[in-house]
Amino acid sequence: MWRAYLGLIRKEFIQVFRDRNMLRMIFAMPVVQLILFGYVVNIDVKNIAVDVYNYDRGQYSREFIDAFKAGGYFVLRDAVTDRMDNPLWTLDDRFKKRESEMALIIPEDFSDRLTQYERVTVGLIADGTDANSARIGSGYAFQIVQKFSQKKTGFTLPVQVRSKILYNPEAQSVYYMIPGIVATILTMLTVMLTSMAIVREREKGTLEQLLVTPMNSITLILGKISTFAILGIIEMIFTLVLGVLWFGIPFAGSPLLLFALSFLYLLTTLGMGMFFSNISSTQQQAMFFAWFFFVFAMLTSGFFTPISNMPVWMQYVTLINPMRYFMDIVRGIMMKGSGFTDLLDNIYALVIFGLTIFSFSFLRFKKRIV
Amino acid sequence: MTGTAVEIKSLTKRFGVFTAVDSISLTVNRGEIFGFLGANGAGKTTAIRMLCGLLLPTSGEGRVAGFDINRQFENIKKNIGYMSQKFSLYTDLTGRENLFFYGSVYNLERPFINERISVLSGRLELKEFIDRQAGSLPTGWRQRLALGAALLHKPEILFLDEPTGGVDPVFRRKFWNILYTLADEGVTIFVTTHYMDEAEYCGRISIMHRGKIIELGKPFELIARHQAENLESLFIDLIKKQETN
Repeated sequence: MWRAYLGLIRKEFIQVFRDRNMLRMIFAMPVVQLILFGYVVNIDVKNIAVDVYNYDRGQYSREFIDAFKAGGYFVLRDAVTDRMDNPLWTLDDRFKKRESEMALIIPEDFSDRLTQYERVTVGLIADGTDANSARIGSGYAFQIVQKFSQKKTGFTLPVQVRSKILYNPEAQSVYYMIPGIVATILTMLTVMLTSMAIVREREKGTLEQLLVTPMNSITLILGKISTFAILGIIEMIFTLVLGVLWFGIPFAGSPLLLFALSFLYLLTTLGMGMFFSNISSTQQQAMFFAWFFFVFAMLTSGFFTPISNMPVWMQYVTLINPMRYFMDIVRGIMMKGSGFTDLLDNIYALVIFGLTIFSFSFLRFKKRIV
Repeated sequence: MTGTAVEIKSLTKRFGVFTAVDSISLTVNRGEIFGFLGANGAGKTTAIRMLCGLLLPTSGEGRVAGFDINRQFENIKKNIGYMSQKFSLYTDLTGRENLFFYGSVYNLERPFINERISVLSGRLELKEFIDRQAGSLPTGWRQRLALGAALLHKPEILFLDEPTGGVDPVFRRKFWNILYTLADEGVTIFVTTHYMDEAEYCGRISIMHRGKIIELGKPFELIARHQAENLESLFIDLIKKQETN
């Protein structure tokens, strides 16, 4: 049985490495995903285009504008060179053309009033199409205005906030996305390959020859899933190395713990794959099931949107998604350096999912193949 | 195992109400080439699947290579080789890789596998093709490669399900020469075919129709008994007679 098992793994690897499309899928997928999610999906808000309607032109308004320029959040454009050539009512047009996302209006008497220690109001208009940028942009603007007022008046507000962001101090979304990609790729690869494993041999007619040999179905399925587990872990290492070297994301925790828990998670994905392999009679069917599972798992795992942003009933739905727990584990270990005890709840969940799904599919598989 | 390689008694297989194999009995001696004939859908494949331990009989009993087909199919599988018309090796592996894989599946040791590969590739005239991907080989070579995979573990009995389908006469002749040599060495060969000239090469044949064995014996004796011109007309006459009954 041992020789048959190793022989099967050897055969599976030869087949994977001889199939150019498979190789492309295995090694191009992480690269493409890293590029897409690392560069394209950027939930950071930076470089907001702001039209400045400065009707004042005094010393203070210039300082005020400089304060806006600092920090890289806004890109300013002077909208008023002559008072009449670019009036405020063209703003709607500029928003529609996406030439500007925000407008800052500084009244004529801005400097005069400030010199006389009087109150002054500035206007801020934002394009709310992209609700996220509008909200975050306004937030930045409030902070700048507050700081500026304090500097000019010398007064400080009675309550001061001193905030600090931990684990990802620059609040870079790449740091958040890449651990997510690691979890996603491991799930996708192992579920898909396993789901097609047996169906493929059945479709090609090679299963028939295997069945007349003394190799039993346990060896057959164990050999197959071992191969995919190894491939999945290789893929994961590849993705991690790319993420750390290329995007410079930190790896705060223990890689050993991450790998150990990844193997635990593989029980679930390999179990799902076997289940799909069992209920499909063609490769297309298996692919469809795997894809459907994957989309559900990805969307409800907190990969794109935090689970806490979802409606409450949806948050309950995410509890049945095993990937959700693994996502927490990968992010926890990589970003926060979470240890075994910190992740205990997630680990319990994965143990339960893994044992249930794996043993269920495994037993079903045994019955079906003989 | 002394005289008999295959021995079945009243072997029956039903799928629901349909009786695929209807109480067949036969004995095949060691080193014999036994031709298992019948029209398409006569139940040959079902019968072979039961003999190979792939399918449990509904009733009846039998022994293959000395093991009970109702219980000891694991042992049966260790002692038989099987090859079907449909090429069922891996087309993306080379001949050697395929043979090596099957060697490990039969739990053979590496040096033994390598020795068998070199012996078989010589006997089956596969030497130049052994390191080419199986998918790129012409049908005749593929069939011999498949035969190689079935012979790697030195089985006592070889089950061949239409092994020469789609192969040209020269290759068929070569293939049968190999089978003769094997039979001389004591390997029992249980073969189905649609080529009646091939059936004449067999030591004995049985003819199956609608799940039953309707005739069994040496080819020339059967021809003489039914006063037929040759095996082909005998086969056609027998089937026709059955259909009209």
